[in-house]
Amino acid sequence: MSAAISNEVPASPATTIAIGEPAPGSAALRRRQLAAIIRMELKKGFFGKRAIGLWLLALAPPAVLSLRLLFTPGDSIRELFDLAQAQAIFAGAIYQAFLLRVVVFLGCVGIFGNLIRREVLDRTLHYYFLAPIRRELLVLGKYLTGLIVAGFLFGLSTAASFLLTFAPIPGGSRFLLQGPGLGHMFAYIATTLLACVGYGAIFLTLGFFFRSPAIPALLIFGWEGIHFLLPPLLKKASVIHYLQSLMPVPVSDGPLALLSDAPSKPVAVIGLLIFAGLLVAISARRARRMEIKYEED
Amino acid sequence: MSAAGKSTNDQIVLDNVSKFYGEVLGVNRIDLTIPPGITGLVGPNGSGKTTLMNLLVGLLRPSAGTVSVRGLSPDRPETMFREIGFATQVDAFPTGVTGFEFIELLLRVYGFAASDAKARAGRALERVGLTEAGGRKVAGYSKGMRQRVKLAQAMAHDPSVLILDEPLNGLDPMARAEVIALFRELSIAGKHVLVSSHILHEVDLISDQVVLLNGGYVVAEGEIGGVRDEMEEEHPVQVMIRCDRPSLLASRLFEHDHVVEARITNDRRGLLVSTKDADGFHLLLNRIVLEHDLAVESIVPADADVHAVYQYLIEQGGR
Repeated sequence: MSAAISNEVPASPATTIAIGEPAPGSAALRRRQLAAIIRMELKKGFFGKRAIGLWLLALAPPAVLSLRLLFTPGDSIRELFDLAQAQAIFAGAIYQAFLLRVVVFLGCVGIFGNLIRREVLDRTLHYYFLAPIRRELLVLGKYLTGLIVAGFLFGLSTAASFLLTFAPIPGGSRFLLQGPGLGHMFAYIATTLLACVGYGAIFLTLGFFFRSPAIPALLIFGWEGIHFLLPPLLKKASVIHYLQSLMPVPVSDGPLALLSDAPSKPVAVIGLLIFAGLLVAISARRARRMEIKYEED
Repeated sequence: MSAAGKSTNDQIVLDNVSKFYGEVLGVNRIDLTIPPGITGLVGPNGSGKTTLMNLLVGLLRPSAGTVSVRGLSPDRPETMFREIGFATQVDAFPTGVTGFEFIELLLRVYGFAASDAKARAGRALERVGLTEAGGRKVAGYSKGMRQRVKLAQAMAHDPSVLILDEPLNGLDPMARAEVIALFRELSIAGKHVLVSSHILHEVDLISDQVVLLNGGYVVAEGEIGGVRDEMEEEHPVQVMIRCDRPSLLASRLFEHDHVVEARITNDRRGLLVSTKDADGFHLLLNRIVLEHDLAVESIVPADADVHAVYQYLIEQGGR
């Protein structure tokens, strides 16, 4: 079975740097390594076996809206909704309650919670840990890959859901093409992307601290779900509080909600980015000291 | 191979390294300085071989002590792994990759340009005889092919230190011989090749020096002959002599105190002698052979290999 094995030892030592090659430790080398990690991870993120669940999750909102269109006579939709109603329903029921709190949240648990944990379960993390690369860079590469995958899937899901909500109703086409419709759509997509940034950082970090992110994810799901009942100070410790202020149409939290000042859009965006940055830094620090032990010797 | 007083820039050094998993001992107080060449790491299951290797590459952190590989610390993987290639025992690969992709993608992560990574991946596969299989999915490889592709991946960036956990497992005899020859070439080129194995005669065959582990402790280390010599008092050296008059030889040998046992083999043509003074014994044997004009067919050490040392130190010591 075995073919010939060459016993020639290459003359060039490992540390030789070819002309035009980035020097060890240089920013150019780190960029190249980051790109290589993202390339490797993207394939898994979009086309791996476990990506099927994510695709189905992302397709769920547009699929539900498509089914509603298919099985509801056109006249009924026109009678049921006007533009103002549709905007309120999309913002409250479709986007915030379904897309943001369920689809994006669960999607981020699946994507970011498994970035490291799944590699441990598959017993492949050591290949990265044995590469001449700073582990901080590895964590950053994996986080960015998660953002690309989550951003693409759930951004697309947001756009499709928006179009499927507004296109069939009276005045919908004018709202989209001549009115503020497209602007609203891009604002929702941006909110989705920021949700991925925030939730992604949380679940990436939890992946380092918990064997299974399910229980902490459930707790956070509950926390985010009751954020409107929280006093103003605690509200600031929920991602949804910042995301709400980015939505183009305000959503009422109901009569039980405790009122608090919504952060301005710049504060919400910068706050979420800083929050995510801190969590990624904590994850990177954790990775630096992380041990791998798959099995007993 | 003791840790004291040697330059560490071309050595692997473990300085008083211990590793505990909670209250369970992984390895304890390991002091080793390993020079370039082929070093065999031998010990029964649970002796700490894999723990020791994982400590060397930073997959595990020592509970106490320090590790350095050619002067590099596992705390800085970005520099250390330019010099190290490690093939673990873990039989797992990224999903869906071919042998070529497995090596090439990781080389890209190492920082090699696309063209360089492709060329290196091709060369590495060629060195382990997997050029033709390189385009096939690793999931479809045999155990031996998976071992070889891991070896190719570990070598693809031309490291100066190769750490290989049970690299000969699953290889057919031909591939085994070829891989051993490859280790020798790497050793001659001044590289470190640290190999763990439970197949003792192979370790004996390939290693310039050995480290014997048991229960998390180093029980012996050094060149196998030297290790055996140090055990002469407790475990007399055994020599098998095949000659025409073994009875006469036995009676003459027994006149000397250092000869503690002499047994004639069933075919009456061989004599198994145990002596506490190997050097003195060989001089004595020469004299007796000349005095009595014995026809000697062969003189072979009967227990100077890793297997015997392993048996004395680990199996009998554990009783």
